[in-house]
Amino acid sequence: MRFLRHDLHSLSGAYALDAIEAGPERDRFTRHLSRCQSCASEVRGFREVGTALAFAAAAEPPAELRTRVLAAAARTRQLPPEVSTHARPRRTRARVPWVPWLSGVVATASIVVAVLFGFAQAHTQDELNQVRAENQAISLLLSAPGAKLLTHEVTHGGVATVVLAADRHELAVVTTGLPALPPGQVYQLWLIGKPKIVSAGLLPAAKNGQTPAVLATGVVKGDTLGLTVEPAGGSAQPTTTPILALPLPV
Amino acid sequence: MNPNDSDASRFKSATTDRRGERDLDLLLIHVARGDTEAFEAVYDRLVGPVYGVIRRVLRDPSQSEEVAQEVLLEVWRTAARFDPAVGGAATWVMTIAHRRAIDRVRSTTAAAGREHKTAEVHTPHDEVAEAVEASLDRERVRRCLDGLTDVQRESITLAYYGGYSYRQVSELLKVTLGAIKTRIRDGLIRMRDCLGVS
Repeated sequence: MRFLRHDLHSLSGAYALDAIEAGPERDRFTRHLSRCQSCASEVRGFREVGTALAFAAAAEPPAELRTRVLAAAARTRQLPPEVSTHARPRRTRARVPWVPWLSGVVATASIVVAVLFGFAQAHTQDELNQVRAENQAISLLLSAPGAKLLTHEVTHGGVATVVLAADRHELAVVTTGLPALPPGQVYQLWLIGKPKIVSAGLLPAAKNGQTPAVLATGVVKGDTLGLTVEPAGGSAQPTTTPILALPLPV
Repeated sequence: MNPNDSDASRFKSATTDRRGERDLDLLLIHVARGDTEAFEAVYDRLVGPVYGVIRRVLRDPSQSEEVAQEVLLEVWRTAARFDPAVGGAATWVMTIAHRRAIDRVRSTTAAAGREHKTAEVHTPHDEVAEAVEASLDRERVRRCLDGLTDVQRESITLAYYGGYSYRQVSELLKVTLGAIKTRIRDGLIRMRDCLGVS
């Protein structure tokens, strides 16, 4: 029996409610999901409806359950994270304005790879090692749970890559391909918050088109990361229009 | 005070409060790193709906407790597989809970047969109605369910709370398979929009 595409798609609701019995039909839909982005996102939305249905059915469990579960957890080894072996498609970076993604150990490993990959494009191994040694704080940031990688294009050219560790209130910024500035001008980073704007430091001079990582601390909810061109030495407040304004998901 | 009230307000935060959702995501990320205090917090936040939904599907309290324990232990064991980019922590946990309950239903009823349950077909919505009192979540869900057509509402509640497959739902409601698939999907789209989930 062959399924028409429409037929297959209409299974998303039943699938999200675990209402397809185990067998070829469910397998076929599961495979379809891995290829159909819109189906996958529909299933995700439906699962949230399921969550609301579950919360509506909340009931008080027997009190002993807590003790039993915690005791069982204490003697149960946890699974390690799955490490993805698939390279991220490069076009994602160019097309999507910013890409927040997963947190946790897997992400951290990927971010380290992604950032180091960035470095590796521009540096020899020795320089890379030097950068890594100089940025102890940044490695700490990279290993923080919940760290997110964001990339954003900069107006007039270039891309900013940000690793954000929201719970540490820190971020690291690397840029590639920013236009070279005339003497007497610098790039300056800002944390643009509702009540005030604070400087997050100057971008160091680029090497082979890439600026070494800059660490910014004190990132709070509602902050947007900004980048402006300022007179040498930097300014107390931005004096030009930001060429990057990246809202930070803190 | 009705004990259900305090439950409701405690559990409510995880579905209705954006910050609560993010806190829960963060807690689960800490659980993945072996943080037992974070696990206790996740337990306290989610055990009500986990146990509640399993109980609704399985009916039997002692089996429900057993499955709830399995689910919560699976949360501990596999927390590193949780990916906040794909969905919130509450949904991740509820998906495991519901699936485990369904697995239990299907494995038990494969042997026992399910015919004796047909007498209860009309009840799921009544049960939902009974359970709504005093809970914002329940109220919201009830209101959204009320906005569905009868067939949409019945097929969703039979599938989710009743643990029936869509083929069984089709049999019970005497509606064709194709129509049931569509009703479930259309009903969920309406629920999704009504509940304001993304």
